Amino acid sequence: MKKTSTLSIAVLLIAVFLFSFSLVSADGETTLVVGFDQDFPPYGYIGEDGEFTGYDLDLAAAVAEKLGLEVVYQPIAWDAKDMELDSGTIDLIWNGFTINGREDKYEWTEAYKDAGQIILVKSDSGIETFADLAGKVVAVQTDSAALEALESEDFAELTASFADLLVVEQYNAAFMDLEAGAVDAIALDIDVANYQIEGKEDSYKILDEWIQEEQYGVGFKLGNTELRDKVQAALEEIVADGTFAEISEEWFGYDSCVLSVCQSAGE
Amino acid sequence: MRFSVMLSKLGEGMVTSVLIFTLTLLFSLPLGLIVALARMSKNGLLRSFTRIYISVMRGTPLMLQLLVVYFGPYYLLGIPLSSGYRFWAVIIAFSVNYAAYFAEIYRGGIESMPAGQYEAARVLGYSETQIFLKIILPQVIKRIIPSITNEVITLIKDTSLAFSIAVTEMFTVAKAIASSEKTMVSYAAAGVFYYVFNFIVAFVMETIEKKLNYYR
Repeated sequence: MKKTSTLSIAVLLIAVFLFSFSLVSADGETTLVVGFDQDFPPYGYIGEDGEFTGYDLDLAAAVAEKLGLEVVYQPIAWDAKDMELDSGTIDLIWNGFTINGREDKYEWTEAYKDAGQIILVKSDSGIETFADLAGKVVAVQTDSAALEALESEDFAELTASFADLLVVEQYNAAFMDLEAGAVDAIALDIDVANYQIEGKEDSYKILDEWIQEEQYGVGFKLGNTELRDKVQAALEEIVADGTFAEISEEWFGYDSCVLSVCQSAGE
Repeated sequence: MRFSVMLSKLGEGMVTSVLIFTLTLLFSLPLGLIVALARMSKNGLLRSFTRIYISVMRGTPLMLQLLVVYFGPYYLLGIPLSSGYRFWAVIIAFSVNYAAYFAEIYRGGIESMPAGQYEAARVLGYSETQIFLKIILPQVIKRIIPSITNEVITLIKDTSLAFSIAVTEMFTVAKAIASSEKTMVSYAAAGVFYYVFNFIVAFVMETIEKKLNYYR
């Protein structure tokens, strides 16, 4: 009895030992630790094979390869992203990360993709415009660009007309709510919306009016311009060798690049 | 995603959950006893210190405590963190939190012992340490097992809080799969995993309880 319990404690301690070794530190020297929200398809999520995948993660992997670093995907709690970045446990945030409204809070690369915040409703809901949203329940993800926009002065009147602006932890819960009829609309990113309604285009629709048009960039801790410049240069390299366009085609079916090097090439 | 892939991902998360669970119990059960003894100590300073400790641990959310333990060293002391600290921060926060609850359970058990037990032991020539270890503690453990089982089962379900500092345990995996696969199946599977885990723990605790039931 005593022998087996000593043995099991030993096995446990060895397991813990190995476990802590499998974790890596974010020093930005041999690894590039990418912080992302794993509930955020198609930018970063768990793929068919159970491994992390997504448009942004593929780009990050391509950039890390150019920099000669090992890419490490670190799923984070979205609320804690600033703390993670400040304390150095992640090197950067690459996750459909909206620059607009956050210009001064992070060091940014150039915007690499256009995006926008929209309103998604059920197609049989009869909601066509923002005005129809009066008295309706609208869900939005906590700490998201859509929430920031709706809480700004520009939309104070619209937001006030809602029966409730329901802040949810993650969009998946909001979709369950929308499907079940507990909320009438979701305010979210256009590409996330398109991914979610893929295959169910008949039951959902995106309003023609947009909340805001915006751009995505890679965010770094304020003052960390060194790594920012490296990543920016690597981004330009993967545009030049065609990797960027390839990844973009794969995920969205078009070349989504809006970096200045892409635009000058297009002219 | 194939069902087998989903199960293996959930299984990976389960390993983390079980590790958190086991290590927390390993540290918090002894720590709780020490806290309980300090709480009942004759030293007034020690007594009020543990009172405050228990009050803070029970009075603030575990999620907040996790954030403080993990990010505190950086924000309060300026020490840069390494990602390897994540898991240990979870163990520290959980152990310190559960020790407070266990301490009060131990105290309840110890204080319920009739004075006659102490008197009889003294007459028989036991020393104070012997009285506690050989006479009182075994009876206390018998009495508090049901309350301990309650806390232990709560602990299993609390492991899902670990993701607030980005430790990917099972429920987090279930949520991530649900959002990428647009399916509820992973939640149902996670529920079954939790239930089976709890069932095993409850069974083990019941067996221990029966084994200790030697006076009847």
